[in-house]
Amino acid sequence: MADLVGVLGVTHNPLMWAMMRNSVPDDLTRVAANFDHFRSLVSDLAPDAIVLVASDHFHMLMMSNMPAFMIGKAPEMRAGHANEERQFGLDPSRVPGDPALAAHLLGGRDLATGFDFAFSNEPWLDHSFLVPLLFLTPALEIPVVPVFTNCNAPPLPTAARFAELGRYLGEAIRSFGGERRVLVVGSGHLAHELGGPRQFLGTSPDPEFDEKAVTWMSAGDLDAAVADTSFDRLTEAGNESYQFLNFITCMAVTQGRPATFAEGTPTRFGNLPFFSWPTR
Amino acid sequence: MSRYMVNKAMWEIDQSTETLAAFKNDASAFLERWESQATRPTSPYPQGGSLTTPERQALEARDYGALYAMGVNPFLLWQFARSVSVPDEMSGEELVASFRDAVEPHGYPDFFT
Repeated sequence: MADLVGVLGVTHNPLMWAMMRNSVPDDLTRVAANFDHFRSLVSDLAPDAIVLVASDHFHMLMMSNMPAFMIGKAPEMRAGHANEERQFGLDPSRVPGDPALAAHLLGGRDLATGFDFAFSNEPWLDHSFLVPLLFLTPALEIPVVPVFTNCNAPPLPTAARFAELGRYLGEAIRSFGGERRVLVVGSGHLAHELGGPRQFLGTSPDPEFDEKAVTWMSAGDLDAAVADTSFDRLTEAGNESYQFLNFITCMAVTQGRPATFAEGTPTRFGNLPFFSWPTR
Repeated sequence: MSRYMVNKAMWEIDQSTETLAAFKNDASAFLERWESQATRPTSPYPQGGSLTTPERQALEARDYGALYAMGVNPFLLWQFARSVSVPDEMSGEELVASFRDAVEPHGYPDFFT
């Protein structure tokens, strides 16, 4: 049987990644230290599959065809797109997949009861998947099951639905018959804005939201997190804050356990999220 | 209002160095060609409607304030703005400043499609 060994939530800011590639600027030393810490956690947990919950930013998926939740099942996946290489210097990569675990998460012969996932046999990961992987598993050697969530093209699934997704994934991972040590990683933001008046302020567009959000995670307060993250409230926090919902999924994977590490690390890009939850 | 088509145009322009160069070289000709392809019912992405005159003008003029006010997707708008302007025409800092001035009066328009 599969073992759920850990749950992490991290930032995927590609500008941050590009800036840290060669040397670490002063305001990002704490970010570098957190990633070092999380990388050692991953090493200690020794996962042999990663279920990665992230939101494609119009790279693989466009509004011509926009699934709410989609699972990628392929033995190997492309990662990195042309405009990400051009803008961030992200090299196109290959990431191994875990089609057996992916098929189980989809539901097996029928789609899962209560969760009608879309699926892709040809998932193509963008920076929201690749940046966390480059920090946590730089050799990109651990097989990944990507779970795509729509946080960029409204209407979006509700926070309650993101919590149900987490509960479902937690149970489904544990019921997988294969021998696996499975790590869940969520990729997202705290308060964040892009393409609106509050982008690149040099600080968080909504520090109050960030403080509350970190408290929900450290307290394991799933109900409060769900209650206070409507689309409109998240827009108030910043028009890219919707990807915080991926961390609600992470917390729900653990049935709402308090995070043992919860921080919004202050940087020029705002407060960058780092969360770690125990699974037993 | 064909908000989806404006999003789609910005998205396609940013897809490759070739589309980006073609748009920057002659925005009007690019949009004309693109729209004729985008409205012809052939696979893989057949139809989406057409651009209105104000939408086409705002894209051609790179009028970020007008596009933002129409309710285009903010992420796609920023991606488009950065790709067509930086670094050939202005620095990232200059774009951040002029973009903010352009969008600020419009608050947070609905950007559902």
